[in-house]
Amino acid sequence: MNTPAPTLLELQHALYRSIVEHDEAEAAASIVVDGIDPAARLGIYRNTFASVLTNALRLSYPAVLRLVAAECFEGAARLFMEEQPPQSANLDDYGVAFPEFLSRFEPVSALAYLLDVARLEWAVSRALHAPDAPPLDLGRLAALTEDEQAHVCFTPHPSAGLVRADHPADSIWRAVLAQDEAALAAIDPSSEPVWLLVHRTERDVEVTRLSEAAWRFTDALFAGRPLHSVLEEAPGAEASALLAEHLAAGRFAAFSVSDTAIS
Amino acid sequence: MPQSRRGSIPAKAGIGLRFPHHQAVVDARPEVAWLEAHTENYMGGGTSLRYLETIRGDYPLSLHGVGLSLGSAEGIDAAHLERVRRVVERIEPGLVSEHLSWSVVGGAYLADLLPLPMTEEALDVVCRHVDQAQACLNRRLLIENPSTYLRFRHSAIPEWEFLARVVERTGCGILCDVNNIYVSCCNHGWDAATYLAALPPAAVAEIHLAGHAVKKLDDGQVLRIDDHGSRVAPAVWALYAEALARFGPVPTLVEWDTNVPPLEVLLGEATHAEMVLRQVEHEHACADAA
Repeated sequence: MNTPAPTLLELQHALYRSIVEHDEAEAAASIVVDGIDPAARLGIYRNTFASVLTNALRLSYPAVLRLVAAECFEGAARLFMEEQPPQSANLDDYGVAFPEFLSRFEPVSALAYLLDVARLEWAVSRALHAPDAPPLDLGRLAALTEDEQAHVCFTPHPSAGLVRADHPADSIWRAVLAQDEAALAAIDPSSEPVWLLVHRTERDVEVTRLSEAAWRFTDALFAGRPLHSVLEEAPGAEASALLAEHLAAGRFAAFSVSDTAIS
Repeated sequence: MPQSRRGSIPAKAGIGLRFPHHQAVVDARPEVAWLEAHTENYMGGGTSLRYLETIRGDYPLSLHGVGLSLGSAEGIDAAHLERVRRVVERIEPGLVSEHLSWSVVGGAYLADLLPLPMTEEALDVVCRHVDQAQACLNRRLLIENPSTYLRFRHSAIPEWEFLARVVERTGCGILCDVNNIYVSCCNHGWDAATYLAALPPAAVAEIHLAGHAVKKLDDGQVLRIDDHGSRVAPAVWALYAEALARFGPVPTLVEWDTNVPPLEVLLGEATHAEMVLRQVEHEHACADAA
C-alpha cells in the first residue's frame, strides 16, 4: 500500500462521508486493520452521531415523537440529519428545519396536523433556550413625547414568537404531552385555524391563543413597524389594551424611535 | 455545608451536573466538593442558566466543552468560541476544559469527539487552536485525552506524546480522563502505565472518571465504548490510584451521561473517589515527612 497519506482536511472529509453519507471506503482505507473490521470501528462514530442528534430532536419535538411513535420518529430523524447535519455545536439550534422536512416525509403525510404541532414545538423550544434579556424600560418609554411614542418601533423579547396553525396545534400539543386521551379525542383537528403567541415567563414557556386581529397586530409590532402605522391598521381600545399587556408581560426587549419622528 | 469557593476547584471529588439533577442539587445542596457543567448546555438563557447561576453560588464549578473542535483543519468556529467565551464570562468557572479531538468539517457539526491522526500537521492545527482559544478566553484551557475506537495508518506520534507536546507548546493543562486511557489502551493494545508516565505531572489539573460499556461486535471481537452509562469499572479505579500516585491529589470528577441514575448513586461514586484521594494524600504526607 503506497497511497499517500491524506491531509488532515482530506481525512476529515472522508470521515464526514462515512458518518453522514454512509460512504466509508476512503475513511476505511486510512484505518489500521488489526482484527476488527474498519467498518465496525467507523460504525461506532456513526451511531453516536445518530443517537446524539436523534436525542436532540426528541427533546425539541416531544409531542411529534408521541404522535408518530418512536420507530417512525427515529426513521425521520435519521433521514433529516443526513440531509441537514447541524451547522453549529450549539444543538439548541438544531432542528429548525425539521417541520419542513416532516412536510415532505411520506410516512406521516396522513397526519395533516403534524406540521402545525411541529412548528409550535419549535417555537416552544426556541423560547425555552432563547437568551435572557431584560424587558424594556417602561420609564424611558413613558418619558417620550407623544410624537416620539407614535414612532416607536419595538424589538420583541428573544423568547417571543408567533405561530399560525391551520389546525388546533396548541390543544393537540397539550393533550399529547399530558397523555390525556379523552382531551385528544375531543379535539376536532379540522376546526378553525389558531393564532398563537409563544413566550417565556419567569417559570415556564406559555402558549396563548390570540384572535386573528390581535395576532396580526402583534406580528406587525414584532416585525419592528412604527407604532402609529400599526395602530392605523388596528384602531380601537382592544389594540391599546393588548399593547399594554405585551409591555407588562415583558414581551419586548427594547425599542427605538424611527427617524421620521426626530425632526 | 459546601463552601462558596467560586474560582478555585479543590483537589477533591466532584460530580458532573446534569439537567435531571438541577432541582435536587438546589434543594438538597448535597455534600460534594465541586460540580462540573457542560458548556454547551448553558449557551441560552432561561431556567437552565438560572439553575447554574444558583448552584455556582454554592459550589466551585468548572466548565467542560464538547463543541470547540480544536482539531478541525479548517479552523475553529469563531461564533462557537464566542458562545463559550460568554458562558465563561458569566459563570466564572474554576477550570475550563475541552478535548483532543475534532467535530466540525465543511461547516457540519458531527456531534461526536472524533479521533485525530497523530501527525505533525494535526499537532500544528491543535496547538494553533488551543492558542486561539486561550487568548480569547484569557485563561488556561485543559485538554482531555479522548476515548478512541480506531487508529489511522499514518499516525506517527503516540497519543500520550502528542498531548505532552501540545502542553509544551501552548502552556495548556491536561484533563486526564483515566477511563478514556483505559478504554483506548484496551481498544488499541496500548500500555496504560506508559501513557500515564508520558504526561507531565505539573500539567495535570483535573481527572475524569466514568463508566464504559463493553460492546461485542458481530464477529465476536470486543470494543470498549466510553458511554458514561454505568459505575466506574474496577480496573479503572485501580488505574485511578496509579494516576494519583504519579500526579498527586488532583480534582477528580465522576461523569454519568447515559441512563443518568439518581443523584445518590453519583454521589456514592464521588465518595469512592474521595476515599482514594485521601489515601494518596496520606501517602504523600508520609513521604514528605520521611
